[in-house]
Amino acid sequence: MSCAHPIAWDTLVDYWARDLGDADTAAVEEHFYGCGDCAAAAARVAAVTETLRAALPPVVSRARVEQLRARGVRIRETTFAPGDQRDVRFVADADLLVHRLGGLDLTGAERVSVRISAESTGALIMEVDGPPFEPAEGAVLVACERHNVAFPHDTVMSVSIHVPGDAPPRTATYTIRHLYE
Amino acid sequence: MQAPDGELVRAIAGRAPDAPDAETELCRRFAPRIRLYGLRHLRDEDRAGDLVQAVLLAVLQAARAGRIADPERVDRFMLGTSRNVAQRMRDTDARTTGDDAALAGIAAPADEHERVDATALARCFGALDERGRQVVKLSFMDECTSDDIAARLAMSSANVRVLRHRAIAALRRCLDAQDHRQRQQQRQGQVDA
Repeated sequence: MSCAHPIAWDTLVDYWARDLGDADTAAVEEHFYGCGDCAAAAARVAAVTETLRAALPPVVSRARVEQLRARGVRIRETTFAPGDQRDVRFVADADLLVHRLGGLDLTGAERVSVRISAESTGALIMEVDGPPFEPAEGAVLVACERHNVAFPHDTVMSVSIHVPGDAPPRTATYTIRHLYE
Repeated sequence: MQAPDGELVRAIAGRAPDAPDAETELCRRFAPRIRLYGLRHLRDEDRAGDLVQAVLLAVLQAARAGRIADPERVDRFMLGTSRNVAQRMRDTDARTTGDDAALAGIAAPADEHERVDATALARCFGALDERGRQVVKLSFMDECTSDDIAARLAMSSANVRVLRHRAIAALRRCLDAQDHRQRQQQRQGQVDA
């Protein structure tokens, strides 16, 4: 790098996390507009952070699913009941699987949390606290994109329903094994 | 050695024989920087692409008319134009700006930015430790600030930032390593063939 005062990695990450103040944001931009090396460094950070941003969150709302469907995303939705242990096939002509974790009594629910782990090893894959849920459907919708092939295929998804007060959360568990085509 | 930015602007303003080449070179240098600005402020790859076109057109028109007062600081002119055009795009929620015929006439560079393989990134993400995964998810998928994340994970904002810097560095290294392995395999495949 030939820049005498390159922008620090940490500053670039904060910039893309939108966690810098206005003056610092402007300073970063003034620097990389005048410096090809630092623009290239900013692009290397952005390639990671903006790809992460473009990914769907693991739990989505019904409205988001319908938005995606309207945009032409090919969605295959499968409904599961608590305690189900089933295979689900990621067929070649689908872009997205939606696992409808149903059979939930969401009356009076304050929030839900979802924990996804590997069935075979118990390793935690993802934990989501406070995602959207669908009281009218009695369901939580888990979005599974094709790049999730990188994660363990055998999953246990636990949904905990938190209600106001001291009552312990109610939990429902679903075992879903993914077969990718 | 490549010509300084100011020299390119003067060649364009003076209608020198090499003015078309100077325009192409100016576009090649600044298009990636304008795209970054667009991604950061317009939050969308398509709109960032529109910003690149609109800003380059405006700057080239200004350069041709000799309206760039300080050619040495054309980078400042580019940034100022980017801010104005992006603001206009946000205000009008517009995708394209400017005159389509004029846009077609500029020497727009090929779109050469890095495209990260989402599966490779998911694999790298899965290799982060649990705290790193949480901080990255909350920062970039849930759009939480470091203060929000600090409150949720019961740690300081400074600690969240450190975890985030390290996690993004680890993801970058992991992607580079995967890319390197893939290239090696491709080379090996060519040798075997």
